[in-house]
Amino acid sequence: MSTTDLSIFENSPDVTAAAGDERDTLVLSMGPQHPSTHGVLRVMLRLDGETVLSADPEIGYLHTGIEKQAENLFWQQAVTVVDRADYLAPLSNSLCYVLAAERLLGITDIPPRAQVLRVMFTELTRIASHLVQLGTHAIDLGAQSIFMYAFEMRERILEIMEFVTGARMHQSWYRIGGLAIDVPKGFLAKIDDFIARFPERLDDMRAILQKNVIIMDRLVGVGVLSAQDAVAWGMTGPILRASGVPYDVRKAFPYSGYETYDFDVCTQQGGDCYCRFVVRLDEMYQAWRIIKQAREKFPDGPVTIEDRKIIPPPKTEIQHSMEALIHHFKLVSSGFNVPEGHIYQAVESPRGELGMYVTSAGGNKPWRVRWRPPSFYNTQALRKLAPGNLVADVVAIIGSLDPVFGEVDR
Amino acid sequence: MTAALLPQLAQTLGAAFLEAASADDMDEAAILAGGLLPAVDVLRKGGFNHLLDIGGTDHLPLTPRFEISYHFLAIPDIMQSRALERGSVRSLTSVVPARFRLRVFPDDMNPVIPSLVSIWPNADWPEREVFDLFGVRFDGHPDLRRILMPDDWEGYPLRKDYPLRGLNRRFNPGGKPGAVPPPVTK
Repeated sequence: MSTTDLSIFENSPDVTAAAGDERDTLVLSMGPQHPSTHGVLRVMLRLDGETVLSADPEIGYLHTGIEKQAENLFWQQAVTVVDRADYLAPLSNSLCYVLAAERLLGITDIPPRAQVLRVMFTELTRIASHLVQLGTHAIDLGAQSIFMYAFEMRERILEIMEFVTGARMHQSWYRIGGLAIDVPKGFLAKIDDFIARFPERLDDMRAILQKNVIIMDRLVGVGVLSAQDAVAWGMTGPILRASGVPYDVRKAFPYSGYETYDFDVCTQQGGDCYCRFVVRLDEMYQAWRIIKQAREKFPDGPVTIEDRKIIPPPKTEIQHSMEALIHHFKLVSSGFNVPEGHIYQAVESPRGELGMYVTSAGGNKPWRVRWRPPSFYNTQALRKLAPGNLVADVVAIIGSLDPVFGEVDR
Repeated sequence: MTAALLPQLAQTLGAAFLEAASADDMDEAAILAGGLLPAVDVLRKGGFNHLLDIGGTDHLPLTPRFEISYHFLAIPDIMQSRALERGSVRSLTSVVPARFRLRVFPDDMNPVIPSLVSIWPNADWPEREVFDLFGVRFDGHPDLRRILMPDDWEGYPLRKDYPLRGLNRRFNPGGKPGAVPPPVTK
């Protein structure tokens, strides 16, 4: 059985640890095209029969050099590339980046309307992202119909996104200093409709899934991560909270006015795949609560700051004012300079703590934008979670970690 | 909360301690590579049990050139207690975690930093990534090889002397001709 060439593993600590024993083992390359890997993950599994002895994830298939690109664009332009990292939650990425840049610039007077809209759309993104995770996870486990329910709901969110920002996926709607454009007429009716309908849909989904025999059989007790291990392996987000640690960036280090919203940090004590699944279901409900509160606040006013060195003047002003035209020209042709410094800004993305360590050398381009990608660390924990489980459970574990490879590989 | 750690770090590290800074979100210390393990020891005793991130920055043409930034998170023990009932979680949000940043400056000519894999298992991949993209080596890492780029890639893409579109090589005919930039430019 063990005819596979093991030389590629020579340096892998997981394999060399197991190499000493005499068991008849098989090395199985899972991916990078395997449908359950949600993109391009390759996992080298070392098997004894059906039991996994060690798992070594290989990443890098989707490396696009986003960090290098961001260093070569103006501060405002880089919003478009940071969007592309976590493509299921692009607005979380943009939010993290613009908050970091605003802190470096010392901008503290983002208008309330922009703050509320940022919170509202980031939470919409969270729901959309968790829906993809639930739908694809259920497909991996053999429950095909859930995918359609999840994507039907996600479609409603994407319609709102498209209506407001013009794009379904990479919205790039946030700007350093506010938002690109205000919401169009008719937005409130759409968001009201969504707020009214969503809880019922979520309850449907919960009724189908939470006590589902397939789901319970495949998830309960699989891939258990204790609270201590979750902290040692650098987990954040739903995975950390499913292990019983109530750490949420929105509560611990509030940004964008999250301290003024009333929501719960959802935790579970089990630390297995099922707990992660329940935490995500609960989080969608909390995100809905936040959207509802944001809708109730929804102040009038501008959506950008007034500083013409950062935000270009409106078109009507450009047609009459020479100064406005110069500002516009300067911003388009050479951007704006950001004072020297470095800053770490984190937001709670659907996958965990998304951090950016942004360094400015005083120029009109970021000197360095270092991601702290939650998926990167979550995927790494597969090495801890997979051993001892069956091959079929590895599929369930990967799904419950919810990796997005745009973000892992950047 | 963490400000008391800074004088302690300065005392423990001696000459390896460069400077300290405090901001409203977290304190930070700049140290030399030799002081990393003692500094981490101090931080762990100070409650920093979660390694958030390891990232690199190339400050060319400044010296020291490479900065490796470590972000730590202190998750209070009470938050980790498994005995917590689900209902009492809301009160816990008053227990606020803290962050800390170490900026480590290795030697320009021979950039080597002690590895933290034996302390935090999740240091493995980010250290490989810094090695892959900056060419900074981690002493004691069990498996230091490229992670994002192919194994036979030439050069270190996130260094500032590496061209944006890469070098003209087998994988990238559109890149700039010429040799791989030397490891260190002074």
